[in-house]
Amino acid sequence: MKSLLIASLFLLASCGRGGTPDIQVKDAWVRETVAGQQGTAGYMTIENRGSGADRLLSVSAASPITASLHETSTAGGVSSMRPLENGLEIPPGGPVTLKPGSVHVMISGLTAPLRNGEALRLTLRFERSGDRAVDFTVAPAMNGMSH
Amino acid sequence: MRQVRVLLWVAVAIALLAGGFLLINKPEQSAPNANTIELSGLGGPFNLVGSDGRPFSSAKLNGKPYALFFGFTHCPDVCPTTLARLIKLRQQLGSGDQPFEIVFVTVDPERDGPAEVGKYAELFNSPIVGLTGSASQIEQVKKQFGIFSQKVEQSGGDYTVNHTSTVLLFDRRGRLDGTIAPEEQDSAALAKLKRISA
Repeated sequence: MKSLLIASLFLLASCGRGGTPDIQVKDAWVRETVAGQQGTAGYMTIENRGSGADRLLSVSAASPITASLHETSTAGGVSSMRPLENGLEIPPGGPVTLKPGSVHVMISGLTAPLRNGEALRLTLRFERSGDRAVDFTVAPAMNGMSH
Repeated sequence: MRQVRVLLWVAVAIALLAGGFLLINKPEQSAPNANTIELSGLGGPFNLVGSDGRPFSSAKLNGKPYALFFGFTHCPDVCPTTLARLIKLRQQLGSGDQPFEIVFVTVDPERDGPAEVGKYAELFNSPIVGLTGSASQIEQVKKQFGIFSQKVEQSGGDYTVNHTSTVLLFDRRGRLDGTIAPEEQDSAALAKLKRISA
């Protein structure tokens, strides 16, 4: 009886991941930089139109640029960033949005400014959908402030 | 019986240890409160360095309402987001309002000299007063305005800075009139900005 319970719990837990994920990345952009700035942040909307969950495990960039998933949080008026070491769950259905002041791709190691209209190619590694190369459009700092 | 007594003594010892642990940890638990901003007694005149490399006296802000924000130019997310939001809200002021100044003070004078804060301010295509200073000047101003900051080492020898991201609002008489927290709604923030700009 106990083993049946454990087996069914395992089955239930894996149910959500059972279907096939269908990942689409939209509105990917990075904030423009000025000379001397070595870092910036990137944002995007990740949709999963499939029936199973996926997970964004990591983000990478061409050397010497580095990219990583970070989350900004504020407690007691103090803002800090922490790396999302376990990645980001992308459930089927509702989109997951990386936006200013929240979860973002932290980019460092820039050797030249990113100018408005250019693009920065980053590779997103998904647990089930594999690697996706995505061109992040460089946009002004005022972008993403419209809502 | 003896076993029961031993067990009881073990229980007492555990209780004492737990109590001691709580006492030891108490100051740490209340530490985050030290980071929150106490409104009374903050502010006053200050001297820093402008983006032109010349001394900047807070007297230059006399008669002007201003929003004061502390950050650093290597900050990828919260600093540009806060500054961009202040600019957006400044554009939403009524025609009768006096536009407030946006003053950005670095908490990272080690990397942010006058050129860095000046260039950074250009990112936003709207006037921002970018300020830096010597390490001791920055420490003094942070203390004066109740600002917390702490370097956090990262892999590869790089570092980031945890810091107070609350914006301080001053009216044209230089009095602290309110604050804006990052999580606050735009409508509430705009109402506060209108109050100092009225």
